[in-house]
Amino acid sequence: MSTVERVPPPRSYLEEGYGLRSWLTTHDHKRIAILYALGITFFFFLGGLAAALVRLELVTPAGDLMSAETYNKAFTFHGVVMVWFFLIPSIPATLGNFLLPLMIGARDVAFPRLNLFSWYLYVGGGVFTLLCLLLGGVDTGWTFYTPFSTLFSTSHVLLAVVGVFIVGFSSIFTGLNFIVTIHTLRAPGMTWFRLPLFVWSMYAVALVMVLATPVLAMTLSLIALERLFGVGIFDPALGGDPVLFQHFFWFYSHPAVYIMILPAMGVVSELITAGARRRIFGYRFMVYAIIGIAVVGFLVWGHHMFVAGQSMYASIVFSILSFIIAVPSAIKVFNWTATLYRGDIGFDAPMLYALGFVGLFMLGGLTGLFLAATALDVNLTDTYFVVAHFHYIMVGGAVMAYLGGIHFWWPKITGRMYSEAWARFAAILMFFGFNLTFFPQYILGYEGMPRRYHEYLPQFQVWNVLSSAGATILGAAYLLPLFYLAWSLRHGARAGPNPWDARGLEWQTASPPPPHNFEQTPTVTEGPYAYR
Amino acid sequence: MNARPARPQRTHRSGPRPPSLAGNLWTLAALLLLLVLSAGSALLRLGPFNEVANLGIAAVKALLVLTVFMRLKTDNALLRIVASTGFAWLAVLIALSLADVLTRQPLLAPW
Amino acid sequence: MSARTHPVPEQFDDPVQQREAATLGMWAFLATEVLFFGVLFAGYTLCRVMFPEAFAEGSRHTDMLLGTIETAVLLTSSCAVALSVREVQLGGRRAATAMLALTAALGIAFLVMHGFEYYAEYREGLIPAIRYTQQGVYARGMEIFYCLYYFITLFHSLHVTVGVLLLGVMAWRTWHRAFDQDYHTPLELTALYWHLVDIVWIFVYPLIYLVGRSG
Ligand SMILES: [Cu+2]
Repeated sequence: MSTVERVPPPRSYLEEGYGLRSWLTTHDHKRIAILYALGITFFFFLGGLAAALVRLELVTPAGDLMSAETYNKAFTFHGVVMVWFFLIPSIPATLGNFLLPLMIGARDVAFPRLNLFSWYLYVGGGVFTLLCLLLGGVDTGWTFYTPFSTLFSTSHVLLAVVGVFIVGFSSIFTGLNFIVTIHTLRAPGMTWFRLPLFVWSMYAVALVMVLATPVLAMTLSLIALERLFGVGIFDPALGGDPVLFQHFFWFYSHPAVYIMILPAMGVVSELITAGARRRIFGYRFMVYAIIGIAVVGFLVWGHHMFVAGQSMYASIVFSILSFIIAVPSAIKVFNWTATLYRGDIGFDAPMLYALGFVGLFMLGGLTGLFLAATALDVNLTDTYFVVAHFHYIMVGGAVMAYLGGIHFWWPKITGRMYSEAWARFAAILMFFGFNLTFFPQYILGYEGMPRRYHEYLPQFQVWNVLSSAGATILGAAYLLPLFYLAWSLRHGARAGPNPWDARGLEWQTASPPPPHNFEQTPTVTEGPYAYR
Repeated sequence: MNARPARPQRTHRSGPRPPSLAGNLWTLAALLLLLVLSAGSALLRLGPFNEVANLGIAAVKALLVLTVFMRLKTDNALLRIVASTGFAWLAVLIALSLADVLTRQPLLAPW
Repeated sequence: MSARTHPVPEQFDDPVQQREAATLGMWAFLATEVLFFGVLFAGYTLCRVMFPEAFAEGSRHTDMLLGTIETAVLLTSSCAVALSVREVQLGGRRAATAMLALTAALGIAFLVMHGFEYYAEYREGLIPAIRYTQQGVYARGMEIFYCLYYFITLFHSLHVTVGVLLLGVMAWRTWHRAFDQDYHTPLELTALYWHLVDIVWIFVYPLIYLVGRSG
């Protein structure tokens, strides 16, 4: 790693102001990214705490630690917080906000004030969710299925719904900002097919945010109205249809999976090319795959409803479409592998995270095909197989990539290098902890253990104990970066503008970048990943 | 403040040219005529074609507003794509959920 | 405050780029609005497929004449706001302000007429959860129709209210020379928003007022 001392750079964005006020009123996309990072980290560990409670309860078959109601609230809180307050904003709002303008050679996003407003919405939504927790929580599961959420649940459904509604607007505005920024603010010479794949993934994700989130917001409003006034279109006693709710909910929530995984794919494309010193294999295919996933992702939502009373014929259509979306995902895995082939692979921490991502994403994706098959899904619905599947995608995939990205761009964001040894150790520990936590859950699900119960049959105990032990390791691995990254802020070696010798406009400016990103608006003359 | 690129400064007058007054007024006249047509056809006994007429006329009216009043006809093509995307996605939502409801085994109403 | 000295924010190169960004942003926002309302329309479609007769019966209880007048009012207001943008582009400040005021007034007229409709429905006992007194074989299905009717029209009226406020601000700013031939993006965006409110209503009209009229 080159840690060459450089002449003191011009005033960086970190030196724009030091007071709290200078941060809370900033319009600089880089500072807003950091504000998001703080919020997201807070919610990540809060949601993690809820997961810890769940895993602790499941060490023994008997429901001895907490009541069924408390358990329901624990996993609901875990789901709500992790989905809307961590995973959805994680990469787009932090790395995306920070890097998007840098990568396309812009001075800021198109609407800086709207960007700051999005963050306040995020915080506002968070406040409602915390309020909901403090007043006793909500027990519907993160999916808010009717009629339970509208008629029977006695917990604070309304507060939770309001929290998610508000944070939804935060993601709509972020998406809108990204779309306009990419369309209008590219530097001279930065044509569409010279954009780094990370930017493409941000574009796709912004598309999904803008087109899917309003559907969620309106559906949640309908829940709130139905709960408040006792009338609506979801209540079967009034002639309504709860399956309609599931249609609307999954119209958002399946694409939401791609809000989580597309940015991860973008990050990994950057990490792998830089780590292997190779041009990305099949750049155009990667772009088409990203857009393909974003669009086809809107056509598959019914695979969540195979046993919900959806018509058999619709299920068949949704099943086939779900198989189709595996194709672009597979193209991406194939191209990453081909990029690594004959690469000059260095095993720095970001690369370890990226490789971890590829493996875990593949396992998660392949088990997704099991669930897309209607016949098999009937057996596996609502078992731990599903839980393991989506945790492989979201935790094994999205969180690994997020942390990989944080490590890769850490020197750019802070101007400091972290401890490489600790970072590698954390990455490896995380990989093992993750597999130990979630692989047993595949087996449990296959054997028929249902999800969302606080007690289970004694024959499942061995795998559950293994899973909880893995969760302990995973938790420790997640805490590690908190310490060594914080340590690096003061004691880390100073990073030059381009410590990884990577391509991409963000590496051509100082670390940390000056307030308006570039001394001179760059002119782009070649495609991305000009390695070899 | 960093240097702006050497691109020549363009002025504000880049949007669509102002449309003609007559064009706008004729469009309003057409819209009101379609409204009358729509109300009238709804009173005739056309069977399923009542619905076709209702929605067809509404679609034409919406297109008129989009192309003339909102100037999609003259403004840049990207905006036309963005506008159609919203409606296309709505069509997906309705079409695929209808695919379920229309092919379901009929459930008896609870009353 | 003069339009000629309107500064270009530093993330943009020039005013053209700024306008492109602003209109693209507005259209993207309108696409989300389409999907916001879209959920309600999708709910309407699916429920209507389940209870076609009840929906026709419910629609016959609405006030078709008032609905038609409201539609005409909104269509006219849409034309008026389009003309105000045109006037600003041609430099006509007075006419533009007048057009904006007319648009806002038509919007308010729409809201008032709709208020009368709501009141009539209250007296007839057609408001689910508040005063619903319908009996008979279609009563339950009609309740769903009226639920959707209220969700859609209230959400739409909310948009009209926001639109009227925006139009008021724009009229005030136009009068005070905030806009001219060179710079009038906020006015343009407000007009786009108002047109969308109109488009939503164009679809509300046949789906709420015209079902089963010939039966
Ligand atoms: Cu899914």
